[in-house]
Amino acid sequence: MPDLIERSLETALTNCCRVGEISIRRIDGGGFIVSHCDDRGRDDLQRFQNPEEAAEIARYDDAGNYRPLKTVPNLCHGWRLELVDLTKLRRALDYFYPGRLAMFAAWKENRLTTTPLRKTLTRQSGMYRVASKISDEQINDLVGNFCRSNGGCLRTILWKRDESAAVPSTKLPSDKFDASHGQALSPRSATPATTAPVIPLLCQEACSLLVAECRKVVKMTNDE
Amino acid sequence: MSNNARALLIVGHGSTVNPDSSAPTLAHAAEIRRRKVFADVECAFWKEEPSLRDAIFLFDPEAAREVYVVPNFISEGYFTQTVIPRELELNGRSTKRPNGQVWKYCEPVGNHPLVTELLLQRAREIAPGVPETETSLLIVAHGTDLNENSAAAAKREAEKIRALGKYADVLNVYMEEAPLVAGWRKLTKSPNVVVVPFFISDGLHSYEDIPVLLGIAKEKSTSNCISAGGEIFQRNPYKIDNRSLFYAPSIGTDPRFADIIVAQVNLFDDAFSGIILAQTENFDSKS
Ligand code: SF4
Repeated sequence: MPDLIERSLETALTNCCRVGEISIRRIDGGGFIVSHCDDRGRDDLQRFQNPEEAAEIARYDDAGNYRPLKTVPNLCHGWRLELVDLTKLRRALDYFYPGRLAMFAAWKENRLTTTPLRKTLTRQSGMYRVASKISDEQINDLVGNFCRSNGGCLRTILWKRDESAAVPSTKLPSDKFDASHGQALSPRSATPATTAPVIPLLCQEACSLLVAECRKVVKMTNDE
Repeated sequence: MSNNARALLIVGHGSTVNPDSSAPTLAHAAEIRRRKVFADVECAFWKEEPSLRDAIFLFDPEAAREVYVVPNFISEGYFTQTVIPRELELNGRSTKRPNGQVWKYCEPVGNHPLVTELLLQRAREIAPGVPETETSLLIVAHGTDLNENSAAAAKREAEKIRALGKYADVLNVYMEEAPLVAGWRKLTKSPNVVVVPFFISDGLHSYEDIPVLLGIAKEKSTSNCISAGGEIFQRNPYKIDNRSLFYAPSIGTDPRFADIIVAQVNLFDDAFSGIILAQTENFDSKS
């Protein structure tokens, strides 16, 4: 029996075929083809069949640099992954965007809780404890730059700045905080996010990279 | 309880700079998934995705009634004692979530007695046909990791293997404190030396730092060492001063670590099932 995540993926696929930079196509007679959305229509793509190979594809960008955050819009091009069923599709998507399908399924069921950035920061210990000293203004600038969909990160931000429920950055468009939108902007095709429905990549709590950036900002302020 | 209601979460450190850091954890998860002994097998990382915070939402509360958390760490320390419980909101060996899901916090893989056997197997496989009585085994740990007990764990493993009396000598050596790995020529007397890094994954330490300290690679080359890193394990034995040196990949990259992850779950059940059942019933009768 398909599990919850597969069921929620199946439902989502009835009217959309896009997650992050990835396009998903159903093959007649069953199965799926996934590729970089910029690569649709290309016939020179390297073919893969094993969902585990998605982990390798997702590891480096086109220039061969390691991708520590998979929702950064720098997925490499030139491949196509053929998957025989929904289970394998789910597994592959989970390598491309680890954990995002589960967050989407939890969000659909109203189980996903969000954590304000300040709460994340005050929870830190060790070398990251200092990160909580960042000012609201610095958060506004940092998040506006680091998390922006165009070149930063394709996730939809669900967390607030603090208990006051302020948005973390006024520099980002309102749809960056709207899960019904999804951020599918790709640097090469620059398709506007609104043209086709996408499965949103949800960010319910700031990632460790943003926490590390907050620390850097505080350190830089202290050094001045 | 049937296996259908049990899920497994393997927790790794991950890295924002080392592409090979999470690879063994992902591979062990894929292997355990293939065995179909858990309803669901997922990974979570401190520095990669899914994050430890994501992990709280990874498992369907209807399908997975129990989630076993196994830290893929070489020893107890700051991460297993502070970071993982805090980020996963665990309040002891067993934590019942508001949705009824019970999370069971197992010991890190490095603590399991099977690690000793794996070290022995690795040492034999890297130097096939080489008599152990003419071989020194070196287990390398970092050494100065604050709050981590990996040095103590490496020492414990060396002591256990030494007690078996198989090898001419068994030493725990460190990168940054005495006894130093760089001193292997003086520390060992046997014609053969086998070196096994006591790390969870390969990376700069095993690809470059330790080989430089051993004298089998040159100081920081300009090429991309990480991508070519695996080659260092392909050129055994290294002939130095009329002796043969065999250099193995980090112990945690061994596919048999998947068995140790499952073994930690079983060990948890053996140690705690009775106690936890009593606690849970107590909890239920109060609520
Ligand atoms: S905090 Fe969320 S939106 Fe910002 S970079 Fe990290 S994952 Fe992306």
